[in-house]
Amino acid sequence: MRKILKVAQREYVETVKTKTFILSILLTPAIIGIVIFISGRTQRSITGPRPPRKVAVTDLTNQLMDEIKASFEQHNESNPQRQILLDELHTDTSSDETVKQKVRDGQLNAYFVLDKDSVEGTGKIQSFTRSTKIVDLDLISNVENLLNSAIFDRRCKLKEVSQELLAEIRELRRRVPSEIIEIGSASEQKKVQKGEQIAKTMIPFFFMFMMFMGIFGMGQHMLTSVIEEKSSRVIEVLLSAVSPFELMAGKIMGLAGVSLTVIGLWATAALGTAYYGAANWWNITLELPTGILLYFVIYFILGFLMFSSILAGIGSVCNTIKEAQSLMMPITFIFILPMVAWFNLAQHPDGPLARVLSFLPPLTPIVMTLRLASSPEMPFLEVFASIVLLAVFVLAVMWAAAKVFRTGILMYGKRPGWSEVLRWLRQS
Amino acid sequence: MDAILLENVCKSFGRVQAVDNLSVRVPAGCVYGFLGPNGAGKTTTIRMIMNIIRPDSGCIRMFANGTTNRANIRTRLTTVKIGYMPEERGLYRKMKVGKVLAYFGAIKGLKASELNSQVPRWLEQMGLADWADKKVEELSRGMHQKLQFAVTVINEPELVILDEPFSGLDPVNQDLLKDIICRMRSEGKTVLFSTHVMHEAERLCDFILLINKGKPVLDGRLDEIRSRYKSGAVSVELGGDLGPEDTSFVKTLPMVKGTESQGRRMEISLSADADPQDLLKALVGRVRVQAFEIKVPSLHEIFVSLVGKDNAKNS
Repeated sequence: MRKILKVAQREYVETVKTKTFILSILLTPAIIGIVIFISGRTQRSITGPRPPRKVAVTDLTNQLMDEIKASFEQHNESNPQRQILLDELHTDTSSDETVKQKVRDGQLNAYFVLDKDSVEGTGKIQSFTRSTKIVDLDLISNVENLLNSAIFDRRCKLKEVSQELLAEIRELRRRVPSEIIEIGSASEQKKVQKGEQIAKTMIPFFFMFMMFMGIFGMGQHMLTSVIEEKSSRVIEVLLSAVSPFELMAGKIMGLAGVSLTVIGLWATAALGTAYYGAANWWNITLELPTGILLYFVIYFILGFLMFSSILAGIGSVCNTIKEAQSLMMPITFIFILPMVAWFNLAQHPDGPLARVLSFLPPLTPIVMTLRLASSPEMPFLEVFASIVLLAVFVLAVMWAAAKVFRTGILMYGKRPGWSEVLRWLRQS
Repeated sequence: MDAILLENVCKSFGRVQAVDNLSVRVPAGCVYGFLGPNGAGKTTTIRMIMNIIRPDSGCIRMFANGTTNRANIRTRLTTVKIGYMPEERGLYRKMKVGKVLAYFGAIKGLKASELNSQVPRWLEQMGLADWADKKVEELSRGMHQKLQFAVTVINEPELVILDEPFSGLDPVNQDLLKDIICRMRSEGKTVLFSTHVMHEAERLCDFILLINKGKPVLDGRLDEIRSRYKSGAVSVELGGDLGPEDTSFVKTLPMVKGTESQGRRMEISLSADADPQDLLKALVGRVRVQAFEIKVPSLHEIFVSLVGKDNAKNS
């Protein structure tokens, strides 16, 4: 055991010290951080404060000037954080081209032209924008509302509707506030705030991603480490001091430590950012399914043992990284399957697909993490059964990997074929 | 007690018979040399002893305690500490010299306190103290090899197995290595090494095994082998003022087959079962003897005569 720990310790220190490792550990959260930051920004530009927008209006009816100004003023008073400034107001088309040029140059966000018979007849509002981005569409519908309410005011004035009646009509037209309520459990009903829906789908993804990186992130290091020892012939010296099993176990343990360090750092960084963002940008409360953490750890350990044993076996029969990678391809493909179907699985965590995939051992850790994070009230029996099945599979894989490793690690020259590897498995 | 016992060990790679029915006894506490030309099967034999490859047939025992490497059974060599230096040297290239030594010390079972004293001691002894914080890949080939040797013996093993330990070392470092090997013998340890350079074995070994093409050609105590292959030649140096006529009587002595004079020196070849002592007695009565040397055949000569003959027979 002391030897296994020593091997693990060296593996850990030597892996953590490499430049590629430090770079990868920093880059990945940096990329995630940038994604979160950008999504936070767009979220904020839809619901939160933003710099005032500038628009120009040409009123060809030549009778709405006061109403339009009043309508904009009223909007800006009630929405101090989302101001729309009426930069220019014309009554003829003489300055049409210069205004359009300003829109093209970005000095104005949009330009609106009211047709001559908009008040009495069938004239329409024309909006000119540089491009129809989602934010611009939001602005256009806002300004259209403002112009419509100006026309409404004008029509009322023409029909000589009294101010009292107008106020009454406005009061009658007020919108009913709405909210979405989640009825997850009967005792606890809670409001779903804006953005929380998005967060809800992202949390299972986050857990799945952490599981994925935790299990597979070290694959390359395992291959490199085994093949380096083999090709530099350190292995012969090593095996005069430790048994092949001790060596393999130490390697797996050391890299599991590295993996835990990585996902620990990343999870802290990601959750920190998410909580900060939730509180400061999106105005939502994040709720993590902390109940699944224990399961997460169990699935991580089993999944890591399974994958890294397979890689140790593969590395031991190969002489170069390239050889190993070509062998790894089909295996990685199987393990990655749940990543492809993640959205479906997260949407239907109790569906037949999710249930079937949970009991295919190579897929179990990722599928079960996704399901548990999506619906924490999974039947215990199903979780337990999947863990038992996975554990049995992991033991079988480790047994086979240890045998292949023991013989393969000292073989040089041509890579052994499948039939030869099968013969090693049958040997005592 | 035998440190290593090989019984009828065979190993072939494809159609090449690398080791052919080899039986060897390596007594504990001696220095044992595996000699032979390139491709003789020295490394294969050592790798079988080290449990790295399995023999096709036969049995290998270590310290007679039952740890064996048979054709079908492999057990770990756990009870006795063994240091092994493989033919192809390899250490972690990216690690620092001191760290590598400490790591191997640790997995060979040294405690932290032992490491703290042993690592600097061996670095000092190998002349690597200034390199402790350098990476292994920065070392020259000779220094790398010295580090490899330190790795092999860091835990003071009872049995040290060295595959071509002297190749790549300059004469100064070869002597350093030889001194350490001699010291180990005096400490009662067993050292087994392979080489194809005969004079190294000559100066170090108590026992040798000479193998060629996987077959044992010669084995036993080095001094016995030498006397068995004595050439029957004596070199003498005579004193005084002597002319050719004063030494001509030597040729006529009954035990002398022939002579060759080079001034005061004289090479005398003796007839088949003559005793050099009789020659000395005969000489002392007639002339002043300043030096008298019974010529011992060098291993090199034995090697060439045996292997050359064998090769000639086969071809």
